[in-house]
Amino acid sequence: MAQLVKDFLNGLWKENPTFRAVIGICSALAVTTAGQNGIAMGLALTFVLTCSSILVSLLRNIIPSKVRIPCYIIVIATFTTIVDLFMKAYFPPLYQVLGIFIPLIVVNCIVLWRAEGFASKASLPRAIADALGMGLGYTWAITLISLVREVLGSGTLFGINVMGGATHWVIMMLPPGAFLVMGILVGIMNMISRKPVKKTHCH
Amino acid sequence: MNQYMRMIVVLVIISLVSGGVLALSYEVTNPRIQEQTQQALQQAVLKVIPGAEKIQTVEKEGMTFYIGTDNQGNKKGIAFKTTGSGFSGPIEIMVGYAPREGKLTGIEILSMSETPGLGARIKEPDFTDQFKGKSVNDEFIPKKDVKVITGATISPTAVANAIKSSLAKVTKIFPVGGDF
Repeated sequence: MAQLVKDFLNGLWKENPTFRAVIGICSALAVTTAGQNGIAMGLALTFVLTCSSILVSLLRNIIPSKVRIPCYIIVIATFTTIVDLFMKAYFPPLYQVLGIFIPLIVVNCIVLWRAEGFASKASLPRAIADALGMGLGYTWAITLISLVREVLGSGTLFGINVMGGATHWVIMMLPPGAFLVMGILVGIMNMISRKPVKKTHCH
Repeated sequence: MNQYMRMIVVLVIISLVSGGVLALSYEVTNPRIQEQTQQALQQAVLKVIPGAEKIQTVEKEGMTFYIGTDNQGNKKGIAFKTTGSGFSGPIEIMVGYAPREGKLTGIEILSMSETPGLGARIKEPDFTDQFKGKSVNDEFIPKKDVKVITGATISPTAVANAIKSSLAKVTKIFPVGGDF
């Protein structure tokens, strides 16, 4: 049980995919212009990641290692397409915004990273705990980036005007804004978790 | 079973199962997706033709026109779709046109992939409302008689050009002052 909690928390903070591993940031930077996009994209990825981790973990002794990557990609692509279809059918306004990024989950390295690096060697409960932790870690990270960009770029928070039109920094809505916000957040996160450095003498 | 056979068998089985699952979810979602698209189209038509309650679809010279009528069957106006090439992809626009007055009755952006916060603001009423009541004989030149968005000129220009060029064709099929 303690191991499961550890696996889950690992993705949330210690090995956070966005702020620590800094992978899968293509979509993280592109969709993070409004809070709800961040949440939706994060949950979509969490769904795909969890489903594929479950399958990869279950099939880990059946899939021959030489063809494991194509097998993982097929599994991931299938779940991604399911998310794509269901979002199109039931959440069309969201699909309008995220539409082009959903198919990109297939090549989002977070999913393959966890399939190859964790789920293929772990038991089912551990794979699920890890996938949920990683997925939610990604979700909170990109939602935070989205909220900062939304407040500074359009002066709203989840679509509600909070700044009274005081901030309309166009750069925050553009790719450079994403890099700026992400860099600063990574810096803050490193500051929080920095271990005290022992003083060493150098000559 | 030798290892090569096993690779092939495993890959084939995984592909077949995935294909089946995908076919199934397509079957489940497809009617709903069609319905959504249809609904979005209808809403857009009703929005760009003030007073319209019902829609008739007419095909004329390779174009599809949606004629909006009120509950008594009085024709209120025509709506048609046009596409402009925006900054990062096509912009689909629904245009409302009242031939009797020779005026536009409104536009609605159906789909686009412009930069959020910049070009994407062509969707906002601030931008689209200026086309309400605009004469079809206007020039549709950005910064002259079409208001643009600060920091984004390409997207509004694409919209203006798309409307202008489609109007050239539409006003031939439904001439200003004529009936429809």
